[in-house]
Order: sequence, then structure tokens, then C-alpha cells
Amino acid sequence: MNWSGLLQCTAIDKHGCTMISDCYYEGAFKLIRPVYLHPSQPTIYLIHLGGGYVDGDRYKTEIVLKEKAKLIATTQSATKVYKTVKMPVQQYTFIHLDEQSVLEFLPDPLIAYENAKFYQETTIHMKESSTLIYSDMITPGWSESGELFRYDWIRSKLKVYYEGSLKLFDHLYLKPGDEITGILQMEGYTHFGSFLVLSPFITNNVVHEMETVFSSFSSQAHIGWSTPMVPGLVVRILAYETDVIEMIFRAIHELIRKRCFGEGSIFLRKY
Amino acid sequence: MMDKLLSLLQLCDSNFPSGAFSHSFGFETYIYHEKIRNYETFKTVLCTYIETQLTYVDGLACRLTYECLAKKSEEDIWRLDEMLTALSLARETREGNRLIGERMLKLCSEIYPSDVLNNYKEMYRKKRVYVHPALVFAMVCYHMEIPKDITVLSYLYVAVQSLIQNAVRSIPLGQTDGQKLLVFVQMHMMDAAQKIDCLEETDLGAMAPGLEIAQMQHEQLSVRLFMS
Repeated sequence: MNWSGLLQCTAIDKHGCTMISDCYYEGAFKLIRPVYLHPSQPTIYLIHLGGGYVDGDRYKTEIVLKEKAKLIATTQSATKVYKTVKMPVQQYTFIHLDEQSVLEFLPDPLIAYENAKFYQETTIHMKESSTLIYSDMITPGWSESGELFRYDWIRSKLKVYYEGSLKLFDHLYLKPGDEITGILQMEGYTHFGSFLVLSPFITNNVVHEMETVFSSFSSQAHIGWSTPMVPGLVVRILAYETDVIEMIFRAIHELIRKRCFGEGSIFLRKY
Repeated sequence: MMDKLLSLLQLCDSNFPSGAFSHSFGFETYIYHEKIRNYETFKTVLCTYIETQLTYVDGLACRLTYECLAKKSEEDIWRLDEMLTALSLARETREGNRLIGERMLKLCSEIYPSDVLNNYKEMYRKKRVYVHPALVFAMVCYHMEIPKDITVLSYLYVAVQSLIQNAVRSIPLGQTDGQKLLVFVQMHMMDAAQKIDCLEETDLGAMAPGLEIAQMQHEQLSVRLFMS
């Protein structure tokens, strides 16, 4: 199977410090040396060399966290999907989280250009003792005319297998048309954000504390949150700007790092 | 079909005690925020609900279950049960479906017993499944030899008439308006049934983001008539 970009990375814990034990990339994907924004917890930046995804591109990313490893993964810039004529762009991500590992997967937003078709599927296998922090943001795209929602469609699937069984399946399908901005759909907003935390450290107290964070943003965004079948929190955001969603993501992330792990915040953005 | 008609009418009757009258599946949030406040506003939301949630989630799940039954592949039905539950990110909606599904399962296995319903009940007892009304409905209809297309359309009808009944009570709307709306959406339900027939299993669960937020926000509403 040929991939337009392939990236594999394994993180291990060595005496309380996480290291990248194995790393491989080919095609348009690249991984630079991890940055230690936190003394024992590396941050990896997933880099796309081409600047954007084009017709028929297929990408695969595989991240494995061994027991107790703690890793932060993000992208270097927004994922841009250009016009796709023949084949939709496909992006597959596989994540394996061993016992007590912690992955913070916080990529930049997705920008789909006019006539883009984008399929993304993320499959996560995790243990009850592991923690997953995962965010996703979809902008209304970009078109020359300045008109929003000019992409053909975006389909995003996230499946989380928890101790082997499917416990969370998030399936979003956005197909611009008469109704996309309307009620039940985007509700008049333009930007979509989703933040997911699955962790044994998410307690009712943390969720309650989170509610204060959400209410402080209620004038700028439309926010919903709930608790999935396994300990955790799922947050949905509709807003008018990337920055607002970024701000809410940061606030959630900060609170989780503090309450669940007793850690300070990490500033990932590079611009 | 004539000999099955009365059974199907019973199953689709708004008095069938499934407990669906306690669930708005996010509609109450829209009523609370006055986004739904009269016949017209409710009509718009209901039509979109049929085209999104009922098509890609409940309706498609009902069709797929029916097909699994025809292929005698029970394992695939349990897998569908797992997927449907995992797809419900809003807790109250997930639990609402389970409560309705459980009541339907218990009742239907008394009045229209079949092997698959018994197996579903057994799986539920062992906590291996969560139970969803769309699956129970497909099982009962398949057992009664009701054709697949009628099964799916009837399930859409059950879901829609229950939402309309709830809207009549909570917006409130007049009883006549409720019945008028049920006639108005007939075409929408037929279109949805046709669309469902053309979908693939990979389409299952495509959610409407706004609706999902409304279902989540329902947990925090200060005044609630419904459990979801």
C-alpha cells in the first residue's frame, strides 16, 4: 500500500521520562526532534512537507505509547485540503495507549478549500488506566470568492476501543448545502470544535469545575458537554472564529493538566 | 400483509408503553431557548431531524438490523448495538434510548416472543449489549414477516409521532396542528425511507452537530418536562 505520507512513532517511559524509542516517516510526512516543553514529557510536531493535501492523497499516522509514556502531539500548521477532483483525500490515524500512558493529541484546525473532499478516520485503542486528550477543529474552509462552506464534504470518524470494546464513536459528516448553517446543524455558526478527554482522572468534581470554564465563554460560543460511557468528558463547540475555539481548548486543557496531573499549562502554538 | 396489519398497528400505536413520551431527544432544549415556539418553527426542526438523525442513525440502524436478521448474523446485530450506543455522545440521549429499548424488549418478548428477542434479552442480562429501540423494532417486524421497507418506514413513523405528541404537550400545539403536521411530514418520511435504502453501513451515525449540542445542553436546563 502506497501512502502519500506515512509516520510511525513509539514513545516509551524510561525512569519517569518519556523518550521516542522508534520513529519512521516517508513521503510528505516528517517528524522533527521532539521538543521538551515539559522536562519529562516530549512534544512532537507532525509536519507536512507539501503545505497541503491534494487529490487522491492518502496519509497514515501511527502513534504508540508504551506503559507510562506521556506524549504531546500536535501539527506544525493547519491541515489544508485543496480541491479534489477524482479521489477524496484520506487520512488515517491509529493510536495505541498502553497502561497508564497519557497522550495529548492537539492538532491545528482543518481548512478545506473549494471543492475539497476529505475523509478522516482515527482509531484509538486504549487501556482503562490510560488517558486520551484529543481535540479537533473544522473551519468553514477557504474559497477565492470569500464565500464560506465551499468544500464538497468532510467526513470525520473517531472510534475509541476501550479495553477492546467500542465505547465511543464520533461520526461527523458536513456537506454544505441549503441546510448546513441552519438549526440542528451549524446553528448559524461557522466553526466546529470537539474536545475529548477519556481518563480515570476525570471525576465529577473536574466536570463541575469545567462548567465554570464553559460558562465564561457562553457569549462567544455555543457549547455542549456530556459524559461518555467511560470516565471522561466530551465537549462540542460552535463558534465564529478559530481563536475562540482555541481559547476554549486551551482553558479545558489547562484545567485537565492541573486537576488530573498537577501540571502547569503548555503553550503549543508556534505563531 | 393483511394478517400482520393489526400487530403492526399495535406496535406503532402512540399508546404503546415504550416510555418514549418521557424523551424529547434534544427538542426540549430548543423549546426552552424558544427556537421552537410554534407550528412553523417545530415543523422546520422536525424535517431536519428526519433528514439527519432519523435517516443516518435510527432509520439506518433499523434497516441494517433487519438485513442482519435475514442473513442470520446475530453477531453483527450485537456489533450494531455497540456502535449505536458508542455514537450517542450525549448521556441523556444514550440512556433514553436504552430505557425505551429495554421496555420495548421486555414487552415485545412477552407479546411477540422470538428466539432473537430472547437472545437480545439474554445478552442484555449479561450486560453485553445496551439495547436500542430501532433494533428491537426491526426484530419484532422481521419475526412477523413484515417487509423491510414497511418496517423502516413504520419505525420512522413511531419516532416522529412520538416527537409530535411530546411537542403538542410541551410547546404547546393544538391537537389538530399535531395531526396536520403528521400528515405534512409523510412525504419527508417516505423520502427518508428511500434515502435509507441507498445508504451504506459506513454512513451510520453521521450526526448533526447542533442537535448533539442541544441533547448535551438538556442536562443543564433548569426546567425540564422530559428526561432527555
